[in-house]
Amino acid sequence: MEQRKPMTRFRTCIAAILGFSACVPDFVIGGPGEAATPVDCEPSHRQFAGNAPLRRLTRFEYNQTIRDLFGDDTSPANALPSEEIGNGFGNDAESQVVSSLLAEQYAIVAEGIATRVTASPEALARLSSCAPQIVEGTDPAVERECADRVLAILARRAYRRPVEVAEVDALIDLQRTLREGATFRSSIAATIEAVLQSPDFLYRVERGFVDSDGRRRPNGYEMASRLSYLLWGSMPDDDLFAAAESGELVNHEGILAHAERMFDDPRSRVVTRFFFDNLLPIGGLAELERSEDRFPTYSAEVGALLREETQTFLAYELHESSGSWKTVLTAPYTFVNEDLAAFYGIPDIEGDEFRQVSLDPERRLGLLTHAGVVAGPIHSNDTNPVVRGSFIVQRLLCETIPPPTGDILAQVKPPDPDSGATARERFTQHREDPVCMACHQRMDPVGLALENYDAVGLWRDRENGLRIDSSGQIPDSGVPVDGPVELVQAIADDPRTYECFARHWANFAYGRTLEDDACGLSQLQDDFVASDYDVRELMLGLTQTDAFLYLPEEPSESP
Amino acid sequence: MSHLRLSRRTMLRGAGSIAIALPWLEIMGNPNSAKAAESARRFITVYTPGGSVVDDGQGRNRWRPVGGETDFTLSPILEPLERVRDNLLVIDGLSMMSAVGEQHQAGIIAWLTGTPQADGNGYSRGPSLDQVIASRMSSDVPVRSLQLAVRWGTGKSHGLLHPINCANFELLAPFAPIPPRLDPQAIFTALFGAVDPESSLEMQARIRSKRSILDFVDRRYANLATQLGARDRQKLEQHLTKVRELEQSIGPLVMATGGCSPPERIDTSDYNPTTGLAADDTGAIVDHSSDEAIPRIGQFMMDMLVMALACDITHVASLQWSDTEAKHTFPWLGLSEHHHFYQHDGGFRPVECERIAVWYSEQHAYLLTAMDTVEIGDHTLLDESVVFFGSELAHAPTHGKVDMPFLLAGGGGGLRGGRFLRNEHLTNPSHNNLLSAIANLFGDDRRVFGDPNFASAPLASLT
Repeated sequence: MEQRKPMTRFRTCIAAILGFSACVPDFVIGGPGEAATPVDCEPSHRQFAGNAPLRRLTRFEYNQTIRDLFGDDTSPANALPSEEIGNGFGNDAESQVVSSLLAEQYAIVAEGIATRVTASPEALARLSSCAPQIVEGTDPAVERECADRVLAILARRAYRRPVEVAEVDALIDLQRTLREGATFRSSIAATIEAVLQSPDFLYRVERGFVDSDGRRRPNGYEMASRLSYLLWGSMPDDDLFAAAESGELVNHEGILAHAERMFDDPRSRVVTRFFFDNLLPIGGLAELERSEDRFPTYSAEVGALLREETQTFLAYELHESSGSWKTVLTAPYTFVNEDLAAFYGIPDIEGDEFRQVSLDPERRLGLLTHAGVVAGPIHSNDTNPVVRGSFIVQRLLCETIPPPTGDILAQVKPPDPDSGATARERFTQHREDPVCMACHQRMDPVGLALENYDAVGLWRDRENGLRIDSSGQIPDSGVPVDGPVELVQAIADDPRTYECFARHWANFAYGRTLEDDACGLSQLQDDFVASDYDVRELMLGLTQTDAFLYLPEEPSESP
Repeated sequence: MSHLRLSRRTMLRGAGSIAIALPWLEIMGNPNSAKAAESARRFITVYTPGGSVVDDGQGRNRWRPVGGETDFTLSPILEPLERVRDNLLVIDGLSMMSAVGEQHQAGIIAWLTGTPQADGNGYSRGPSLDQVIASRMSSDVPVRSLQLAVRWGTGKSHGLLHPINCANFELLAPFAPIPPRLDPQAIFTALFGAVDPESSLEMQARIRSKRSILDFVDRRYANLATQLGARDRQKLEQHLTKVRELEQSIGPLVMATGGCSPPERIDTSDYNPTTGLAADDTGAIVDHSSDEAIPRIGQFMMDMLVMALACDITHVASLQWSDTEAKHTFPWLGLSEHHHFYQHDGGFRPVECERIAVWYSEQHAYLLTAMDTVEIGDHTLLDESVVFFGSELAHAPTHGKVDMPFLLAGGGGGLRGGRFLRNEHLTNPSHNNLLSAIANLFGDDRRVFGDPNFASAPLASLT
């Protein structure tokens, strides 16, 4: 869901229908008659750093934070109301609002967690070794000392920073109040409930400090959280807390060293997995259904395996191999296990474990030809070149194509997806009717080049007895392609592919929807290209921008 | 608190069941004996996706009744509402002119707000009618307003809040979208409680504990907010407002009316309320089990909604059947494609759309009948309510918003049912005028609701 200047684009498409040229991007950025505003990236106008809205933990982050804080891996935040779709990753800070329902659910979720993490002596021992010893009849002074210890440890970790005496005292006061008429254990549980609803836990508050150059930057603990949530989707670990305390996290080099360590740690895989589940149409493959009659070798179990194919492949590329996004797009191999090999018709693969296999170079090349990636966007048992094309053009090239307006739909009857032997025939109207053409000529030709994959992503030469014509074209550049392998090569050669990928990462990393003119974004994109599209370098680069290293110029303290 | 005697029918409710409701006590006087002709007391909105079949492709309107104001025959689509006909006010002839923006999104946004969609795929430019009414009616109930949704977050919203699926917007700028509640079990617990009502000691301890916790949380937000810059402070203050609402819901004891009795909690394990999170843009991913469960879940939701009103837990409620994406199937109707497919993704299928619209009419008849069986003093719950049934558009294949298929029901504020208002010759058919007319039923005497460019004067003849 791109949100860049959609109204401008909307107008452009209307203009196109009225007889102006087409739904083309040149029009779109500035709009006709508007001079593009020159990008001002002077250090004194650091727009990229100049906006760091207060971020709240997303459900993804909340779950992992609770796991690391208490060892509770029940993913309790799944019960919270959904995030705003915002930048497509659910973490767009500008779009985060608090509803009555959210506040209520925070309370309920907190109660569940607090109950579980105080439910047994083993659980209590995780809070502090003294906690399981407190029983009915324990010396009150001993009990109070233990409560104080539990809360001091908890506050520091839950707030992800050193806490002031007054802050711990406030928690201790609360626990003493809650202890009246209740057990030690339930008073600790109720105090945990309070901590989990506090802004210090739910929000990533950044007060920052002014460095020797007079620039505001996050302090060591704030930086530890920036790093851990970016690279692990969770709270800092002990090493990061120690680094924060020793002052390692207030300069580029120290931050980079930790980012490298963290990316190379297996914990980073959960973040890349989450990112690609949201970027690619694979997150729901386990629930993808198809007609058993038409696709007898397909089942939802195969769908789940297709998602694992793509995620296993991506994990290999990013965490064990070159890490190049270009290689991801053009790798002549993939990963399958026995069941998936049988689905693809690849011989001699046994067992549940995924292993690397070569692709038929005539038929498949890289990520975009994975069966799950081409099946994921498809709605029915018949392929649809519009949705496949739309995914590649809008999601992977970051071109925005507005949805049809009511005016358009009032003028034309959309094509009937059931009439016509091939997809090309079914969607003829999109090429011939000028009203449809304006936008569809930018999507359909991309989708049509993938027509050799059926609705479950298997190869076919014919549809309903007719030979499939899988020629197509890349929008705007006009590069002609014939079939999926050429399409992949053209996408891999298109500079927009890499600018778009870097933009998605920046949006995800900074919890925002970046504008085209965000300072630092173009630098990040240039560096990504210069690194030969190295995803690891890109993720590390995300920690070296002004947006990551600094805070907005204006002081955030109250006047 | 300790002076209270808690009877067998005492219930606990609120966040994790934290507030309590008491049965209506005759001795304290009946707070609900207001005559139906006085201001309406309760407002319920029901959303269904994709309009109705106002043109079946051969020029026939399958929704519009035939006949005059009182001597009309219900249409094939509205026929299931025959049994509540006397409570029904069919409102024809209005257009959602304020629905400016993306076709579906602008429709669901304008439906209750009467404002165009905010720029850049934004939300509303004003509050929704239910929130305006809640600000008048809900000062003495624990839940200001209740939003429920069945099989929500389908298709392109992927289970996330989005202009494509949201109908309710906060009273104050920036008119933030209000997410609906989705999980029937969580809703039951929040409304009707999980703690043994016999255990008054446990209940009192619990209330004390929750108060202390929220009091601490409240101070933490208030304190931290003062230390931050303006924008961040605003965020924390917004959160604080919601914490205070939660605190308030623990506080006052609530009188329930005579008709208040919590519905039976049913097993909903076959229904995944957040299955939208796994949705894809086109509805290709089908959750058969949850789709199959929709009729049962929907009825449970309606039962809870009715009792939340009957028990005076809230005065304002919204029920959303899916969202504008409507990308779920209807296996119990023998429809294996999703609703949006029949609307236009697969070319307009009037027969299938009609079957779905008829089913929604049946559900609405169930809701209205249930409300009409709850007795409050000398009248029924429905008599003192206004129920507004609508959609984001009228005609799915064109996204047309002319001749919206709107229904009002109930007798609140003197609303007169048993009538069909054709509204054929209105000088200004904007539905904003219906919104202001509804607000008037609640004693809000504004002449204009929503964007004034689309409003002139309240629609006449509701009463």
